Amino acid sequence: MSTITIQHLRKTYGAYTAVDDLTLTIPEGCVFGLLGPNGAGKSTTFKCMLGLAFPTAGTVTYDGTALEPSTFERIAYVPEKSVLYDWMTVAEHVEMQRRAFKKFNVARANELLAQFNIDTRKKARALSKGMKTATMVALAIAREADTLILDEPTSGLDPINQRHVLNLIINESARGASIVFSSHQIGQVERAAERIAVIDRGRLVLEGAVDDLKADRKIVEGIFPDESYALDGIANDPRIARVDRSGRIVRLLTTDGAADFVHKVEAMGASGVRIVDLNLEDIFLYAVSPNDATADVVEGVTA
Amino acid sequence: MPVVLTVDPRSGVPIYLQVIEQVKRSVALGVLAAGEQLPTVKQLALDLTINPNTVAKAYRELERDGVIETSPGRGSFVKSNGVADSTKAAATDVARDALEAAVREAKSIGLSADDIRNLAHAAIDRWFREAK
Repeated sequence: MSTITIQHLRKTYGAYTAVDDLTLTIPEGCVFGLLGPNGAGKSTTFKCMLGLAFPTAGTVTYDGTALEPSTFERIAYVPEKSVLYDWMTVAEHVEMQRRAFKKFNVARANELLAQFNIDTRKKARALSKGMKTATMVALAIAREADTLILDEPTSGLDPINQRHVLNLIINESARGASIVFSSHQIGQVERAAERIAVIDRGRLVLEGAVDDLKADRKIVEGIFPDESYALDGIANDPRIARVDRSGRIVRLLTTDGAADFVHKVEAMGASGVRIVDLNLEDIFLYAVSPNDATADVVEGVTA
Repeated sequence: MPVVLTVDPRSGVPIYLQVIEQVKRSVALGVLAAGEQLPTVKQLALDLTINPNTVAKAYRELERDGVIETSPGRGSFVKSNGVADSTKAAATDVARDALEAAVREAKSIGLSADDIRNLAHAAIDRWFREAK
């Protein structure tokens, strides 16, 4: 089992910077969700973690050791796009994995494929997008690896199989494996992940335990008698991540001590002051939208 | 043992707090009896499709609060010593959270402390009428 340490990772393609000074630690045995808008750098980060892309700068280490050939035996990967060979059957893919990896568990692979109702006699080209995803997930889990890196492991799957994949992730985690996964379906990350990181345009914008983020990040909302209210001493408080003003209504995104700010805003003359809980989707959207510019969009989500 | 717990992962309330609240409520209601075994961390994580470390954190806090006890290798059990106390404590915790939220809401829409006290007395009178 391993702790994954990413330090000052940078990856550029010509003039384009895909990952920009990313530093992250993924603790041993943790399910870690990587979130970000399309093109944020998630897949590039995964490729650098796997040695499939060479970092422009920075390092990725497993238990303090840089990637080396023996590390690959310990890491299983499900890429975002299918890497199955169209002309090969599922059973042939199982055989190929068995030859490639010493620890590959054929019985487990067949058991998982059966759970997904995949006919192993079918050629990959005959599988739907979701069934290709399920096949790759089954092959990865059967590796019995220390570390699983799963790029969109539920894409194309129906809700039942999505839930099944989440439970496989939970089961692997209970076994002690470290798991890093990405999904655009934030509700899945919210269930399975203990910690998350949000990256946007290659940079880390938020990281923490899901439950801690929910406990700490709240909206404090209040209504002032008129629109000409000042927020002296509050707007600059380091615990206030953003201020959205909309007419007489103010919404403060607090990163700590929401109850404190309820009293402060009331003392400034606001009424109807309340604390609004944020789910992971709200927290994500606030993290990736700049202050003010997209305030209306975000308001629509949290309203 | 049937799972009596439900959580809403999409809510803004941390999942481990939801698990704690649900176990305390079940103990207070007697749905979980003294000495009864709780699902293992892994089993509850799979039943609810939530992270195992999140379940483990909830169990640790429940143990610290004296609601459950865990013996290595055997599992977690509803505490049997002084179960009346832990039942009362669990019920008090659940009720305190509900009252806190109601008072906060009443205050935020402009009611005074006396207004809220009057409402609380009226509610108590109404719900304990038969007992008088």
